[in-house]
Amino acid sequence: MAQRSYQEIILALEEYWAAQGCVLLTPYHTEVAAGTMNPATFLRSLGPKPWKTAYLEPVLRPLDGRYGENPMRFQHYFQYQVILKPQPANVLDLYLDSLRAIGLDTDRHDIRFVEDDWEQPTVGAWGLGWEVWCDGMEITQFTYFQQLGGLELDLIPAEITYGLDRVAMVVQEKPTVFDLEWADGMTWRDVYQENERQWSHYNFEEASVELHARHFDDYEAECKHLVECGLPLPAYDFVLKCSHAFNLLDARGAISVTERAAYIGRVRNLVRAVAQLYLEQQQEDHAEAVV
Amino acid sequence: MPKLLFEIGCEELPAAACMEAGLQLPELSRAHLGASPEELFIGPRRLAFPVTVAEHTDDEWIKGPPEALREKAAPGFAKRYGVAVDDLTLRDGFLGLEVPGRPIAEVLPERLAEIVRGLQFGKSMTWGAGFRFARPVRWLCAVLDGEPISVALEGVPSGGLSYGHRTSHPGPVEIPSAEGYLEALRAAGVEPDRAVRYEQIVAGLDALGPWRDPSGKLDEVVYLVEAARVQEASFDERFLELPARVIVTTMQAHQRYFPLGGNRFAFVANGGDPAVVRAGNEFVLSGRLEDAEFTFRRDVEVGIEGLADRLGAITYIAGAGTYAEKTERLVSLVGELGGDADARRAATLAKADLASELVREFTELQGYIGAEYARRAGESESVAAAIEEQYFPDSAGGPLPRTPQGAALAAADKLDHLTTAFGLGTRPTGSRDPFGLRRAAIGLNRLAIDGNVPVQRASLGPAQEFVEERLEGLLNVPVEFVRAARASAVGGLGEVARLAQALHAAERGEAFGAVYEAYDRANRLVGKRDDAAEHLDESLFEHDTERELAAAIGKLELDPADFDSALANAATVAPVVARFFDDVMVIAEDDRVRGNRVRLLLDVRDELGRLGDFSQIPGS
Repeated sequence: MAQRSYQEIILALEEYWAAQGCVLLTPYHTEVAAGTMNPATFLRSLGPKPWKTAYLEPVLRPLDGRYGENPMRFQHYFQYQVILKPQPANVLDLYLDSLRAIGLDTDRHDIRFVEDDWEQPTVGAWGLGWEVWCDGMEITQFTYFQQLGGLELDLIPAEITYGLDRVAMVVQEKPTVFDLEWADGMTWRDVYQENERQWSHYNFEEASVELHARHFDDYEAECKHLVECGLPLPAYDFVLKCSHAFNLLDARGAISVTERAAYIGRVRNLVRAVAQLYLEQQQEDHAEAVV
Repeated sequence: MPKLLFEIGCEELPAAACMEAGLQLPELSRAHLGASPEELFIGPRRLAFPVTVAEHTDDEWIKGPPEALREKAAPGFAKRYGVAVDDLTLRDGFLGLEVPGRPIAEVLPERLAEIVRGLQFGKSMTWGAGFRFARPVRWLCAVLDGEPISVALEGVPSGGLSYGHRTSHPGPVEIPSAEGYLEALRAAGVEPDRAVRYEQIVAGLDALGPWRDPSGKLDEVVYLVEAARVQEASFDERFLELPARVIVTTMQAHQRYFPLGGNRFAFVANGGDPAVVRAGNEFVLSGRLEDAEFTFRRDVEVGIEGLADRLGAITYIAGAGTYAEKTERLVSLVGELGGDADARRAATLAKADLASELVREFTELQGYIGAEYARRAGESESVAAAIEEQYFPDSAGGPLPRTPQGAALAAADKLDHLTTAFGLGTRPTGSRDPFGLRRAAIGLNRLAIDGNVPVQRASLGPAQEFVEERLEGLLNVPVEFVRAARASAVGGLGEVARLAQALHAAERGEAFGAVYEAYDRANRLVGKRDDAAEHLDESLFEHDTERELAAAIGKLELDPADFDSALANAATVAPVVARFFDDVMVIAEDDRVRGNRVRLLLDVRDELGRLGDFSQIPGS
């Protein structure tokens, strides 16, 4: 079988996880720094309702940009995110099968599950799991969430986050992300290098500090207002927007050590309030459904 | 007797969890099965053991109410156990219930479940099974004399099946008996015995020539594989320009590789095609070394002085200023501690590497990286060595600096750390010691004692008591001698230690006995009195012995640093003290005479006490 292109790997994952009963979603419509922050993971993991989803997520981390010059670090890259809630007993086997489905031969490679616990104190979240190694390279982060937004979980989800660039490098046997074949005759370089260059330039040099600082304040106020209105889903979008504004300010070097802690605290407070509200509504709905 | 095999099948356990389970399983087996495991088979996906158990559980007698309460309490007791009052038996005046032993197979489902529930982990999780474990438990295999046993643990399948190697033999494996366990799993690509895996890995490494494991990764790696395969690999020689420990740390900390010298290394695989797996691991290490190289070059371009210039932006301890301010203190402290020009130069550059990008990634290499950068900037070897040695000793038994400049800088660093932290009111409590003050105090003592750094006790400020208390555990003499020496007149930290040792060594000698007795008698009689005169008044003396004693004490100039001659000197006063007690009534009627004599004896005690507080030392 010919090696799969990047887009064929994505398609194979979509097909595989759809066959496992996952709801296929498209990337979220506002910036996230991790597939975990997409509400399809973060919010849907809360509460008593089962949920299975899979989606591609472009993650934006302004501080990690390298103007498209470093072959392993980017301000924009792709994760493929799977949530299985509650976690099924054969979840690791399902994961290994997904690797086979995208053309990664688990008999030729040394696949290992190496302890790596996940903790994100800024959003009151932690879980236990592994980084999955393929011949010593981390290709996936696997986590059993235990707490999100400071709240205990009713059903424990398994989160599978594929680092798609790394996976594709193994599948295509390419030494750098630049050289990955995106589609027939098109490399990653052709598709995204100029994007990296321009956005790195923007993130580090041109992003308006005054504008993003103001936006942070506005988004925060809007989020609080929406929580008061009992609308956790729109409120959550404004948490994400705050978070991204903060990341941009950080990349611009506009945040001092003391301010940093204050900003993080403000985001954490928003996350907790939204998560709490979302959970209350979920539990009410669930109670009605059971009645 | 029946033989049982019990295996807890897990998703990949962390090495620490494997070790925790290995420590607890023997006791859990004794508690719930009445016998210790014959062996333990511990690995990432299974915790297993064979154990020989009794055929029946022991007969039991459950004690009930006293016979006198037969009417009142016995019916309730009997009802609780579902029997009639007539079924109760009498022992030593109490009614009770005979519970005959049961066949072991009947109780195993519940008892094996108790073993699983009984394991405690430092970090544990839930996944919906109703009990916590380090990672999800996915199967339980229990076989008693060839018969599968199901375990009463909700949500976990159990019986006679185990599972083979995760990728090479993913299917179920039937376990025929405890005796057949190892064979069945070995045929399924798994080596369950940790000791065997360990030997396999060591043999594999030995076959590749000399290997190193400075961070002790082997103990972890043995729990990362079920089918250990040691392989050799290499990286591009151009990376050898990186500081050697940066390369070794990259290999060990992130990848758990074993350096083989030069550009070769070994790794332990758990499966896959050796050539493919080797290429993959080499690729990963190259990527990491490339990152390190990039960072290293940027640091070297800035240079150690440029890095030192950035210290004003880095906070040392909240409330205690920046590393630039700490650097100024270090330079002056090093001078006070006898450091020469090179030591002061080293102090100027000591903290520069904290501003480097490489130390941000390899914090454990602080000092070492600074020294490398200093060498590259043309600093002398003694300056570089002192920078490298500033954190020595970094553990209770760790090596001391080899150079005098390093010793002075290391002592200055710890002294400043301790006085700063104590000055801010932080001190270690119980097991909490976030600033590493215990380690710093022990290190400072060792530098003073074995490194001969002249650390003055007075310079310890608010940390003095804490630092000196550490001597009690550090010196090989009873604590009373350390306490006695701490109360002496010596000014140096190292001298306290030497005095404690000298006191202990002299304890059985005649001179010591004489001085001890003189001190002890004086101290017992007047130590707690409050009527001593402020100054000795010779005009109030009535006996020659008083005058003689005052003169003898006045002449003594005891230098505890020269202990042997000081002790001999002090001993010459002892007979005079003895005669004084024979000849003179200390507690005289006349207030002024009495106050003067009390004063004289206090002077005796205090002068002899320059050699230490003898009252701390128990009499023989």
